[in-house]
Amino acid sequence: MSALPTWLRSGRVQLGLGIVALIALTALFAPLLAPHDPNEQNLISILLPPAWAKGGETMFALGTDSLGRCVLSRLIYGARIAMSVAIVASLGAMVIGAVLAHIAGYFGGWTDWLIGRTVDVWMSFPPVILSLILMVGLGTGLRNVILAIVLVDWTRFCRVLRSEVLVVTRRDYVAAARLIGFSHWRTIMREILPATTPLLITLISLEMGIAVIVEAVLSFVGMSVGPNTPAWGQMIADARQNIYDSPWNLVFPILMIFITVLGFNVLGDGLRRTLDVRLTETQRA
Amino acid sequence: MMLEARNLTVSATLDGESVPVIRDLSFALERGRVIGLVGESGAGKSMVGRTIAQLLPPGFGVTGGNLEFAGNDLVTMQAEERRALLGREIAFIPQEPLSALNPVLTIGNQFAEHLTRMGVGPSERRERMLAAFEAVHLPHGADLLTRYPHQLSGGMCQRVLIAFAFASRPKLVIADEPTTALDVTIQARIVRLIAEMQERENTAVVFITHDLRLAAQVCDDILVLYAGRAAEYGPARKVFATPGHPYTRCLQLANPAMSGARRGLYALPERMPGLRAYRDIQGCAFAPRCPHMIDDCTHAPPPLADVGTAHAAACIRAGQTARIAAPAPAPSDEPTITAPILEVSTLSKRFASSRGLFRRAGEFTAVRNVSFALHENEFVGVVGESGSGKSTLARLIVGLETPSEGGVAIAGRNASAPDFDEHRRRSVQMVFQDPQSALNPRRRVASIVTQPLEAAGIATWDERLAKAGLLLSEIGLPPEAAWRFPAQLSGGQRQRVNIARALCAVPRILIADEIVSGLDVSVQAQLLNLLAALRRERGFSMLFISHDLSVVRYLCDRVLVMYRGEVVESGATEQVFSAPAHDYTRTLLAAVPPDDPAEVWEGLRA
Repeated sequence: MSALPTWLRSGRVQLGLGIVALIALTALFAPLLAPHDPNEQNLISILLPPAWAKGGETMFALGTDSLGRCVLSRLIYGARIAMSVAIVASLGAMVIGAVLAHIAGYFGGWTDWLIGRTVDVWMSFPPVILSLILMVGLGTGLRNVILAIVLVDWTRFCRVLRSEVLVVTRRDYVAAARLIGFSHWRTIMREILPATTPLLITLISLEMGIAVIVEAVLSFVGMSVGPNTPAWGQMIADARQNIYDSPWNLVFPILMIFITVLGFNVLGDGLRRTLDVRLTETQRA
Repeated sequence: MMLEARNLTVSATLDGESVPVIRDLSFALERGRVIGLVGESGAGKSMVGRTIAQLLPPGFGVTGGNLEFAGNDLVTMQAEERRALLGREIAFIPQEPLSALNPVLTIGNQFAEHLTRMGVGPSERRERMLAAFEAVHLPHGADLLTRYPHQLSGGMCQRVLIAFAFASRPKLVIADEPTTALDVTIQARIVRLIAEMQERENTAVVFITHDLRLAAQVCDDILVLYAGRAAEYGPARKVFATPGHPYTRCLQLANPAMSGARRGLYALPERMPGLRAYRDIQGCAFAPRCPHMIDDCTHAPPPLADVGTAHAAACIRAGQTARIAAPAPAPSDEPTITAPILEVSTLSKRFASSRGLFRRAGEFTAVRNVSFALHENEFVGVVGESGSGKSTLARLIVGLETPSEGGVAIAGRNASAPDFDEHRRRSVQMVFQDPQSALNPRRRVASIVTQPLEAAGIATWDERLAKAGLLLSEIGLPPEAAWRFPAQLSGGQRQRVNIARALCAVPRILIADEIVSGLDVSVQAQLLNLLAALRRERGFSMLFISHDLSVVRYLCDRVLVMYRGEVVESGATEQVFSAPAHDYTRTLLAAVPPDDPAEVWEGLRA
């Protein structure tokens, strides 16, 4: 086991990484895994229960929806949207948030004031409403969903990271680096960023979970990708009309969102526990 | 007998194995007496205090012997009974007064709670509290009751805690480094107060300290601990006048003297074995560091044997101990006074204080009108209590703060010179106080000490490694330390790395901010000798900031005394220390216990 880095030895990280990797692989190989075209309608067999329930058909392992589309295939394709949004949107939010947080925390003064107040104003909008407004303005589509999430959630990174940057900046080794002749840029990159990276990784993992939920909310109200692209939120919205006849249709996409977000959160929690040098450095000694 | 330990053994569970932390400790304390537990950090001093109070950390427990308080064995006592004793019969004076008080409750609230626990009725409480404050010379007692801890100074908080401790008229008080976190000027007052209260109530006191001089003045008996065992035990006067154990002698000689001729410092090599190493020790734990070690020392742990009346030492060669002498002082070639390399002229720094949204900013002057010069190859000490502006002065000189008025000139060039910042960076380096914070925990030692090369951006990693090797040998660290992380080094080693990084830039001036405070005396002696040696080899000037006067006396040619941001006295170290002109300098000097334990400490009498 000693060959593995410390963070990979944590059970939480292994579990979280396992779930996330499984879903990511599903998304990547969706065309190979899905038994049907996710948009193929089969109007003769609508609202079929899962194969193991009474009246189910083996052809549709998890049943069909109100238009006779294969639920399993739609779930598999839905993972593509969820994962792309999770990865790209949180990376984007991280880049904006982290850059501003480091500038604000390191330079302080009026820069910090300006960035801090911007974050305050930004965060006083309810996030879902803000993203809805953005979607109305931008129009639907995967790229715009990502953009909306980035524009809403960068504040989350900025606020949490800024205080961490502030703590690190006050440490004497940062002052020592400046005295030795490091430029501001090099000081931030070589002295501060390595100290904030663990938090950054943890935050991004948690943000991915949040992005999955926000995308589901947006597609639930039909403000995400178009109707021809299967997404989990959309499936929930569709299933809502037949909630009494076929509750299964509602359960599966909810379960998928639940498992995905759980995976990201467990991963984030595990990383936080193992990557924090303050917690691990005594063990290395 | 108030407190008596017989063959007390405390063990810790480490990696599933039981390791004795305190071994076979026996001592006795009578009513109205003070016993001093001394030794370096890790010797087990605090562990004894914690055993008495039954505040042992998880995994630690008494595994042998007994510990009797007024005839009752504290070890076998029921938890219920013990709790009744604590706070009532046995009281504690903690090391950090501010963290021992609850910041969200007023002093009065906390005191009342304490009194309620002792069974004092509500009608009497106020009177008892005011009387207690009067006893510890705290003025405006009624006003004090409504204050919160953060509104008081550290010294006042400690006095409040002493009032708490003695309010129950305890039979035994345990004072765990009660003055370490306080300024030197307050130290004498706090110690005097503990002594006064102890005399008045005829209390027995266990006084835990690392400061031998202080212990000599305060304690009746001394127990010197080394690696969890008693090294020496006896009346304070005898232990310090004729130490029987080489460890006691070496500690004395590691402390720079405050009076008399300059002598070298005895720097004990290495450091005390850690807990994990305890089980591998066959003979005397001190043997590897002992100047008198012979083969017999490594066979069996030496028992405590009498070396005089009521005076015992655990050394088979106790008779030879007196022969350990301080090394000769470093040859002090009188610094040839050349042109000043650093000139500070009418330097002032004001900070805006408490800026609020709707409040006008006030101003606070940290450094006021300071002028002095530092010459080539000269060490100048800056002394003063905390808040006197010493650190701000250092930060102004290196450029971490910008002066409000005045300025600095380095080698004749001042701030108006075009490339002054670059020039300053090349000539001046700073060694920070706390190596924990000054060393990036994510860099390896080799990468830290060669940071100046990284800044220049020309050296390859191989060149940096080679340079790191040279620097490490110069500061006395083994070459394999290059690959360690700071967390894997001891406090003294970290401070060496800290110094090495500053030296890598080949500065002409070093600004050292309290770089030996918080270190054990033996480590402090090692570092002071290192600095003296580096000066001879490399030739640089140093501004040495310290609150410890004895250290400044040992190392510095001249001294500046700072008080409330101003330099109130300056001159040759010897002259300032032997004939102080300013009242504040006299106060500072009086606050240090004298070298000779037989001498009367003015600070304690006044």
